[in-house]
Amino acid sequence: MIGFLAFSIRRAFQGLWRNRVMSLAAMVTMVLMLLMLAGLVIVLSGMEAGLSYVESKVEIRAELYDGADPSRVATLEAQVAALPEVASVTFISKDQALADLRAQEAAAGQPDLSTVVGSNPLPDQLAIKLKDPKDFGSVKATLLAPDGVVARIPDQATNVDQLISITALLRTVGLIIVVLVGMTVLLIVVNTIRMALMSRADEIEIMRLVGASDSFVRWPFIFEGLLVGLFGALLTLGLLSLASGPISQLANAIAGQVPVGFGQQLTSEIAAVVFGAGLGLGGIGAWISVRAYLRN
Amino acid sequence: MTGRLAAVTGRLAAATALAPRPGLDSSAAEWHDAEPDLTNPPSDAAPASSPRISIALHDVTKVYPNGRNALSDVDLTVPEGDFVFLVGPSGAGKSTLIKLLVRDELATHGEVYIAGFEVTSLRGRDIPRLRRQIGIVFQDFKLLPRKTVRENVAFALEVTGTPRKRIAATVERALALVGLTEQAAQRPSQLSGGEKQRTAIARAMVHDPRVIIADEPTGNLDPLISWEIIQLLLRINDMGTTVLMATHNAEVVTALRKRVVALEDGHVVRDEVGGYHRDY
Repeated sequence: MIGFLAFSIRRAFQGLWRNRVMSLAAMVTMVLMLLMLAGLVIVLSGMEAGLSYVESKVEIRAELYDGADPSRVATLEAQVAALPEVASVTFISKDQALADLRAQEAAAGQPDLSTVVGSNPLPDQLAIKLKDPKDFGSVKATLLAPDGVVARIPDQATNVDQLISITALLRTVGLIIVVLVGMTVLLIVVNTIRMALMSRADEIEIMRLVGASDSFVRWPFIFEGLLVGLFGALLTLGLLSLASGPISQLANAIAGQVPVGFGQQLTSEIAAVVFGAGLGLGGIGAWISVRAYLRN
Repeated sequence: MTGRLAAVTGRLAAATALAPRPGLDSSAAEWHDAEPDLTNPPSDAAPASSPRISIALHDVTKVYPNGRNALSDVDLTVPEGDFVFLVGPSGAGKSTLIKLLVRDELATHGEVYIAGFEVTSLRGRDIPRLRRQIGIVFQDFKLLPRKTVRENVAFALEVTGTPRKRIAATVERALALVGLTEQAAQRPSQLSGGEKQRTAIARAMVHDPRVIIADEPTGNLDPLISWEIIQLLLRINDMGTTVLMATHNAEVVTALRKRVVALEDGHVVRDEVGGYHRDY
């Protein structure tokens, strides 16, 4: 077994070297494809992070009628808090709401316009946090059910919907592109290994005549394909680690407070995807090629 | 002639009875696993009273997919330890017969036995085991130009999973057998035609085969060198290995007075010991 492995791997390296121009071409296309794949993973995970951040911030603000009966408000509050879709309900008095607004404007560097009005124009509010923003509709119905308590509920879900659909579109388009490029890489690997097989046609003929089993014929070439994938993946990860600093900075500059970047988990996720795709395409491409060749 | 035919028919019956099926044949596997010994063939190779059968074809027909009928109803039996010339004009079916024996092609009809294997029903993954029992020698040598003589011979052991430490000794013995110890480090391009063919024979012998099949082994060699190669094959035959040699070389066939099987248009037209060989 060890002899067989040593034989196969030695011949795989020999094959790569003899066929080096084609092997290099296969590796470079492999790197390009893996970079695109890693890019897609990074962008998508950034979008996901952004999405869950925004979703966590989404809350329903139910504006109450001025002078609504406090006991009815308390009943409604308890009723809504009991709903399974709801994470929390907080009563915010109009004074509190004004204070919040002032703080927010000040943080954004806006002039405080509330002083211009003279009196507090804001109503009392119920702030409701949802477990899932998609449950907005049913909670809204419960809030509006009793007469004379909730005056209106401003619609805040549209931003979330847009972000969700952009992420879905990006994922679909990105996957289609990566699959197309992946198929190109597969064809290039198939072709590379076919050239390797042809350049060893005499050896393969002799091997079969002297009684070499198929695995001795087949595995050196599959290892050759795996090596193309392995080197492609290593090169890709090398390039990514060089570029990871600037990419993180760029992501932070664009996303601001949304936490995007090369966290530990994202890094290992990318490494797994890159190695898996590289070795997978290399091995499968070689396998297809060898199978087609040995059938003739 | 009639007596000869009767003998052949008798041998054929023996072949059907004696040739073990692949599944039951443990001797072939054991033999392969044993230390290859090129100078002492197994003693049970040819018991004097009832010789074991090395090669047997029964009613074999081969029709290629393009409709060409390469062999028709061929019956042939070769006892272990025989030396047989296969003659006939180009296209008579010699190459097809050899391809059937080494399972490069499958018979359309009939049964083929060689070295204890029933070739016609052999599963694909058992073909390597069959090939290790047969040494094959070609007109064009089929040596690897980048490898030395020693590496060319070792290659046959390396690719069949022989442990590394056993390879070197076996290769040296095979090279000594064909007289190429001195040239072991040379590449095929530095060798004469005869030396190339002797390298190929050494490679064919490393698995200690029960049968050597030589397809026009002297076809590319001048007469003197051809005799050297024939002498070598005779010596291998003397050690107990069956030899089947396809040839056009009338001089050699006439001089040696061995069994001659003649094919014409896919039929065996003659099967007798001796000299005469038409000029094909």
